[in-house]
Amino acid sequence: MKLIKIFSISLVLLIASKTTAQEFKLGKVSVAELEQKIHPKDSAAPAAILYKKGKSRIEFDQSDGDFVTLTDVEVRIKVYKKEGYEWANQAVWYYKTSGFVEKVSFSDAYTYNLVNGKIEKSKLKSEGIFDETVNKFRGQKKITMPGVKEGSVIEYKYTIKSPSDRSIREWNFQETIPVNYSEFTTCIPEYYVFNSRQKGYVFPKMTVDKSPKSIIFTSKERSEGRVTTTTFSTDKIDYIETRTTYTAQDFPAMKEEAFVNNMDNYVSSIQHELSMTKFPNSQMRTYSTDWNSVVKTIYDYESFGAELNKTGYYEDDLKALLAGKNTLEEKIWVILNHVKASVRWNGYTGYDCDNGVKKAYKEKTGNIGDINLMLTSMLRYAGLTANPVLVSTRENGIALFPNRTAFDYVIAAVETPTGYLLLDASDKFSTPNILPFRTLNWSGRLIRKDGTSEEIELTPKKLSNDVVFLNYKVEADGKVSGKARRQCTDHMAMITRERIDGVKQEDYLEKLENKNGKIEISDYSRTNEKDILLPTIESYAFTGNDLCEIIGGKIYISPMLFFTNDKNPFKQEVREYPVDFGFPQMDKYNINIQIPDGFAVETLPASAVINMEDNGGTFKFVVAQNGNTVQFSIASQINDAIFSAEKYEMLKEYYKGMIAKETEKVVLKRI
Amino acid sequence: MKTTFFALFLFLITFNSFAQKANYTITSIPDSLKQNANAVVRLDQMDITIASQRSMNVKKQRVITVLNDKGLSDIEAFEHYDKTTLINSIEAIVYDAAGNEIKKIKRKDFRDQSAVSGSTLFSDSRVVYLNYTPISYPFTIAYTCETQTSNTAFIPTWYFLGGYNVSIEKCVLNVAFPSDLGFKKKEFQFAGFNIKKTEETTTKLSYVAQNILAQKAEDLSPSPGDLFPKIIMGLEKFHLEGVDGTATTWEAFGKWYGDKILTGTTTLPEETKAKMKALVGDEKDPIKKAKIIYDYVQKKSRYVNIAIGIGGWKPMQASDVDRLGYGDCKALSNYTKALLQAVDVPSYNTILYGDRYKSNIQSDFVSMQGNHMILAIPNGDNYTWLECTSQDDPFGYQGTFTDDRDVLVVKPEGGQIVRTKVYDDKGNTQKDKGIYAIDENGNFSGSISIVSEGSQYNEKFRIEAYQPTEKESHYKEYWDNINNLKLGKIAFANDKENIRFTEDVQLSAINYASISANKMIFAIDVFNQNNHSVKRIRNRKNPFQIQRGYLDSDEIEVNLPAGFTIEFLPENYELKGKFGEYKTEIIKKDNNKLIYKRSMFLNKGKYSNKEYDEYRLFMEQISKNDNAKIILTKN
Repeated sequence: MKLIKIFSISLVLLIASKTTAQEFKLGKVSVAELEQKIHPKDSAAPAAILYKKGKSRIEFDQSDGDFVTLTDVEVRIKVYKKEGYEWANQAVWYYKTSGFVEKVSFSDAYTYNLVNGKIEKSKLKSEGIFDETVNKFRGQKKITMPGVKEGSVIEYKYTIKSPSDRSIREWNFQETIPVNYSEFTTCIPEYYVFNSRQKGYVFPKMTVDKSPKSIIFTSKERSEGRVTTTTFSTDKIDYIETRTTYTAQDFPAMKEEAFVNNMDNYVSSIQHELSMTKFPNSQMRTYSTDWNSVVKTIYDYESFGAELNKTGYYEDDLKALLAGKNTLEEKIWVILNHVKASVRWNGYTGYDCDNGVKKAYKEKTGNIGDINLMLTSMLRYAGLTANPVLVSTRENGIALFPNRTAFDYVIAAVETPTGYLLLDASDKFSTPNILPFRTLNWSGRLIRKDGTSEEIELTPKKLSNDVVFLNYKVEADGKVSGKARRQCTDHMAMITRERIDGVKQEDYLEKLENKNGKIEISDYSRTNEKDILLPTIESYAFTGNDLCEIIGGKIYISPMLFFTNDKNPFKQEVREYPVDFGFPQMDKYNINIQIPDGFAVETLPASAVINMEDNGGTFKFVVAQNGNTVQFSIASQINDAIFSAEKYEMLKEYYKGMIAKETEKVVLKRI
Repeated sequence: MKTTFFALFLFLITFNSFAQKANYTITSIPDSLKQNANAVVRLDQMDITIASQRSMNVKKQRVITVLNDKGLSDIEAFEHYDKTTLINSIEAIVYDAAGNEIKKIKRKDFRDQSAVSGSTLFSDSRVVYLNYTPISYPFTIAYTCETQTSNTAFIPTWYFLGGYNVSIEKCVLNVAFPSDLGFKKKEFQFAGFNIKKTEETTTKLSYVAQNILAQKAEDLSPSPGDLFPKIIMGLEKFHLEGVDGTATTWEAFGKWYGDKILTGTTTLPEETKAKMKALVGDEKDPIKKAKIIYDYVQKKSRYVNIAIGIGGWKPMQASDVDRLGYGDCKALSNYTKALLQAVDVPSYNTILYGDRYKSNIQSDFVSMQGNHMILAIPNGDNYTWLECTSQDDPFGYQGTFTDDRDVLVVKPEGGQIVRTKVYDDKGNTQKDKGIYAIDENGNFSGSISIVSEGSQYNEKFRIEAYQPTEKESHYKEYWDNINNLKLGKIAFANDKENIRFTEDVQLSAINYASISANKMIFAIDVFNQNNHSVKRIRNRKNPFQIQRGYLDSDEIEVNLPAGFTIEFLPENYELKGKFGEYKTEIIKKDNNKLIYKRSMFLNKGKYSNKEYDEYRLFMEQISKNDNAKIILTKN
């Protein structure tokens, strides 16, 4: 996996020498920049970041009497094409809750154009600056630049003032357009220690230097005698400030790809999290620095650990439910179902409680924390060794670095003699170890009561199966009739249940018929639809007039009929990022074809096997003929959930081979 | 005394809760209303009180039973507000299946959020909405809301059946208005629905609709707005964001709009006027002058929508657009008008509904309508229409966003309803000329030139601006009948003068033909297969329509591999009917060379539900023939 590179590279970077930084200053737009017609390295780019410089400083603020975070950002953007006009509109969000208000202000914003060889600049005035209240918690400042045309260069600066002494925002070194130069500096007093975390596929260079700084306190003292006199006294405190600068040069544009878990995982960026404070004359305080302390911090939250210990609100209900339940499996099952039935997920993630377990239980609705911490607590109450597991959803990205925001979700794990059983009560189709797709994202972190923690693999290892039995006969006029039976297990079953959930059977069948070569379906039945521990089974009889072709008096049949995979999902020529299927899977088809009287097989596809390297997967295609019946056993087994970009070509070839085989025809001729 | 009061109080309470229970139990819904329904509207009552030209109060009461999670969107518990429209009260009560109250949601528990979306950069419009997590289905929500506004230019439309899979028990409309404001209304699509007018006087209007069954969505249907009943209403004397208005005829409305809203918005700096004069030089022809100006606007401006107060209706000053280089459809149209004025070319602001789905300004109902503005330049007996928000559209090209519909042209002497350009079906062409070869291993290589005109131009010309990865995925989608497709050189020619877009593409694919034993099989029509499947719909209820027709013609040279003989060649095929005409022809040039000719013409039209199956079969025959295979045998 390429991600491992992150760690090795950042080690090297620590000792990398200081590079001569290029000088970029607002207002110094050159004729050459304005004249440029296309980006030299990416001719299709609609715009480019010529430079972007950010600096986050933690400084003492006289009026606040405390340390605050100030962030200044300068940007110069080149617009090459009309498609790049969107870069002339910018937005910066800020917090505005009671007691915590950040300030954002834009300044020095100009559009530069070349008019008859001369540089013309238009200033952004207040008419192009907007302040929008997004919701209760957030606002955003928006700007729209004047006079933007193809070829324009835009510059602007903004400042964020945060009353907090630890709000260094994430800095992205990559965008959807090329970035020629991006620089981010942090200025941090010696009293603070931050952890910096880089991710992505390309990395900026880092330099560090230290310099002395001082804070001057001015205090006023009034003495009241006959005449009131005010004396000013100043105190000076010296400290060392650490400046760390990250510079990125010529980073390519991010491009969307299919089958990507979350593009954000691959954007080059840096995050900062406070790990320690040590002020003069006070105790050292540590924050999350490694997974154990992150976990400890989270466990100590009122909305986390304390919620786990509440039991009173459900005890009576649970006692009744657990009566007569002796085995571990029985207990787990009854509790999981009880939570599912008692509390509906309100759509909000979060590893800690929003409403609190008690309120959630009473009002029958809650966030992920409410639901799964309640679940964990009940499992413990039943005498099981159960613990919460912190998870980062696919939307949140991969939890690469130890910090509290790395996670946004929680599930429960029960220790059993055969290993952990992972549970999520927020999804009605989830069963032990079959978690909703949103949680299948690398690894989570299990927290025990004693504060220790352990990494838990979330990517399923077990194959999810999709097995189809197809029995059909072909008539001399090409009409096909037969029976199909489709059985899905684990994640495939979950997907099936989600697909059929709440859909009226009539509508479902209409869709199924239209999607499958306009067959007509009869005798449709489902087994285990509600019995979610068991595989889903759908059976039906079908007839179709359009399922095989008669060409020149011969009948051509695709043995898999409407199940044939005839399109390669991997069409892209080059692949940047890993392919993520979510879980390993097997598609299997057992097919019996009865050929019509008066016909004989002219050609049959040959049996074949395709193997991926490193046991990534296997395609088996087996044919047998027995009198008037032709039998096929066709199976594609993908053993890995994730394939690195290096394996893309192999994966594409595998699908190519598979499709070529599946689309081969059985040819019947008259005898 | 005390006891009586207490008893009365108790009585009231019991009476109330009894009433609610009786109303909102699930069992009281007739089965017929549950058929195909995700939600049932138990009651939807709208009371509109217009107190004066500058005051309108709207009370909404909506009781809806949600049967499953797909019915959540039918709750519609949201309200927009801004500086002139205030929400006086908003509340919701949730009942369980038995009709017991389980939750009361107050205004502070509603979410309050900025209503800025999509193409809008900033607007002062906000939305208050309910975000309720159901505990179980079914459940019932009783939502009430009261708003107050000074804008009487827009009276809410009575359009209670907003979509599919929702049924209606009872809907009520009550409108009260002063007799002297010229209240008017128009009914649409009442036929087949149980709707009664219960009162109509000089100051009151009431309707009741009852027992309307849920409908299923069907492909190719007209939009719900053209299918389901609705009433639009308006005043002859109205008010809009601080401006009084009068509209008895389109002429008068147009005059009002010109005088009160547009007036004074087209002033330009002298310098800009001089620049325009210099640009057109000696050109005398107004259309040619307009073309020069349009090109200038396209290069100079970009679309940015900022809607604050009257700014939602009144264009920004032309001088501001001139300085800032951006604006919305009104601002950019008006700016272009001002520039044209400077070179003595008259042009008119034109109000319309901009959408791919053709939708008319209701010509027999004079009121504020439309969602878009373009510019009309008189050109002989016709008009040349300019889409001023586009930086790419050819001069006078309407594409599919503003074509073939009734619009309001605002002239100085008054408004006038005019039809925009109708693109003839036979003019919406795609001409393919190509060549391909199959080698002895079944591999394919070829090249093609695709020329698109008319409304088909609109579907294609933006490909040129795609990023390389987007181009790749476009063509791999377009030719998804070719597996293992590899794209070679791609070149484009965008002839804006003649509105013609040409794509020249080289492509290849290994294993295009499938080989079994000594045979090779492949579909001869590689480049233009019609594989849009038309769904089979049992008992279709709604009519269907094809909004734009087209004509495709292909001529492809096919080179077969040496060492093979043709075992089977698809026959020539022809299909003619009311929907269109289709024809394919294969001409054998010599042993290894074929010419494949195909033409496909589709009419635009409106058809009844009964004709749908015929249409489906027509398209299926075409798909089937497009997929006709050729078989070669190895010598």
